[in-house]
Amino acid sequence: MRSRARVWSIVVFGAFVAAATVLAQRSAAPPPASSRAQADATSRIAASAQAVLAALDEAGRAKVQFPFEGSQKTRWSNLPTPIFQRTGLRVGDLTAAQRDAVMKLLAAALSRDGYRKVVDIMRGDEVLRAAQGAGRASAPNAGAGGRGPSTGSGQRGPTFGEGEYYLAFLGTPSASAAWMLQFGGHHLAINLTLAGGDATMTPSLPAAQPATYSFEGRTVRPLGNENDKAFALVNALDAAQRGQAILAYRVSDLVLGPGQDGRTIQPEGIRASALAAPQQTMLLDLVREWAGIVTDAFAEPRMAEIKANLRDTYFAWSGPTTNGSAAYFRVQAPTLVIEYAPQNSVDHIHTIYRDPTNDYGAKFARR
Amino acid sequence: MRAGSAAAVFAVAAVCVCGDRASAHRRDELLQAARVAVERNRVELELDLTPGIAVADAVIADIDRDRDGSLSADERDGYAARVMRAIDLSLDGGALDVRLLSAAFPEADAFRRGEGTIRLRSAVVLPRVADGDHRLAFRNGYRRDVSAYLANALAPQSDRIGIVAQRRDAEQRELTIEYVARGGAQPSLWLLGGIAGIVLAFAALRTIPKEDER
Repeated sequence: MRSRARVWSIVVFGAFVAAATVLAQRSAAPPPASSRAQADATSRIAASAQAVLAALDEAGRAKVQFPFEGSQKTRWSNLPTPIFQRTGLRVGDLTAAQRDAVMKLLAAALSRDGYRKVVDIMRGDEVLRAAQGAGRASAPNAGAGGRGPSTGSGQRGPTFGEGEYYLAFLGTPSASAAWMLQFGGHHLAINLTLAGGDATMTPSLPAAQPATYSFEGRTVRPLGNENDKAFALVNALDAAQRGQAILAYRVSDLVLGPGQDGRTIQPEGIRASALAAPQQTMLLDLVREWAGIVTDAFAEPRMAEIKANLRDTYFAWSGPTTNGSAAYFRVQAPTLVIEYAPQNSVDHIHTIYRDPTNDYGAKFARR
Repeated sequence: MRAGSAAAVFAVAAVCVCGDRASAHRRDELLQAARVAVERNRVELELDLTPGIAVADAVIADIDRDRDGSLSADERDGYAARVMRAIDLSLDGGALDVRLLSAAFPEADAFRRGEGTIRLRSAVVLPRVADGDHRLAFRNGYRRDVSAYLANALAPQSDRIGIVAQRRDAEQRELTIEYVARGGAQPSLWLLGGIAGIVLAFAALRTIPKEDER
């Protein structure tokens, strides 16, 4: 009898050891960072999305809604229509009231700077449409983008303009369940995944062509802050730091652009732990240009996460260091990839913003 | 004139009409993006080739050897083999025999629209690699006349490999990955805990006296 009790006590102890190990593993992971501000932001965004749905007719609702899991999730690109054929609700097909509802949704989902950036990118594409000259001229609100001439086989040339952006909802807009807001067109891809109080805006692709243009008498540079802050940072490095940061080879394009989901490259450049405090502040300020596109309630915890990983963050540069030159740079950390890649010109910029651990909200799905 | 050729002529014409400001992305280069995954006993190579629309016809001509306008399976296989022959991979100075695992081609029209990417996936099983420092050298000699290159090591999936440095030529045609190979990975706490539990349980069972011993 005593021996049986001893056996059971040993078995229970063994099970306890195994369970304690499992619990220790789980407790090592940070708890989900939800707050009232984030939950409120999700509610606002979901309500704005519902307002868009209410403004649409049945055909419009059918165009904008997609399953949460499916091919639409990764269907985004920097390329214009029809080189890349998007699906979803085309802004150019909307009435003024419907378009207003879409822009209000973007204003709810994005920070003030983020909204300005998106509008500037879209406006830049309208400038491109005007420069193209071959398109059928129309006001964006009238529902058209500029289209290139058609071929004999019906193939159309690149289509530019503010009307050529598309909205899609993956899943049902909700304050609690997971869903995704997708908005994009030429040189723009916003992929915002929301799950209750959690949100991630990765992967996203803000780009610009032209990178500088005039609108209503003022000079607009959609990605001007990104450019200027990066040049300021690289020029704040001393010779030894530059030796680590500046890559001795040409980087002609994004390495982790569209279609490169799930890949992590070996980081290069200077580690942020080798930067002085003011330089680290400059680096974080640069990163905020991407992390801060989303509304502040989600940008702040994202910046806190990036700051917590600062020691393991790398800054790499390729190209001249005089502002006004075409230079590539990359910021890479355990939960962050940012690339900025001029396309053989300072007037044509591609960028990418990723979280290799949480693109499309992969982390939320695991919880 | 074949429909495909007409489309190609249009594509080039559209570039001319639109000018540089209207270009969607690089037009006059074949972008070759290589990613190299180093494992303890294996190296995997991903190579994506994306021709700009101004060089699309040249790439199509490289594939479509019989000029019939379609890219047959044999032509695709032949093209992939020619590309791979232009790739050199070596470990510590010894040449490696890279085997093509798969090749995915878009339709020819996708090239002409400027969105077509050829995706070649290959791998090589490494000879027994001792612990310590190693140098894996990659060199891409395919279509140097029209190409822009990207070459990167992927972050290792295992702590048995530690990448120390990546060295490239100015155009990224050549990439040398310096890495350290280490012994077996540390077993995870999950594994240790599980083993500890099983061992203790097994020990406990052995202490149960058999019926005939009572």
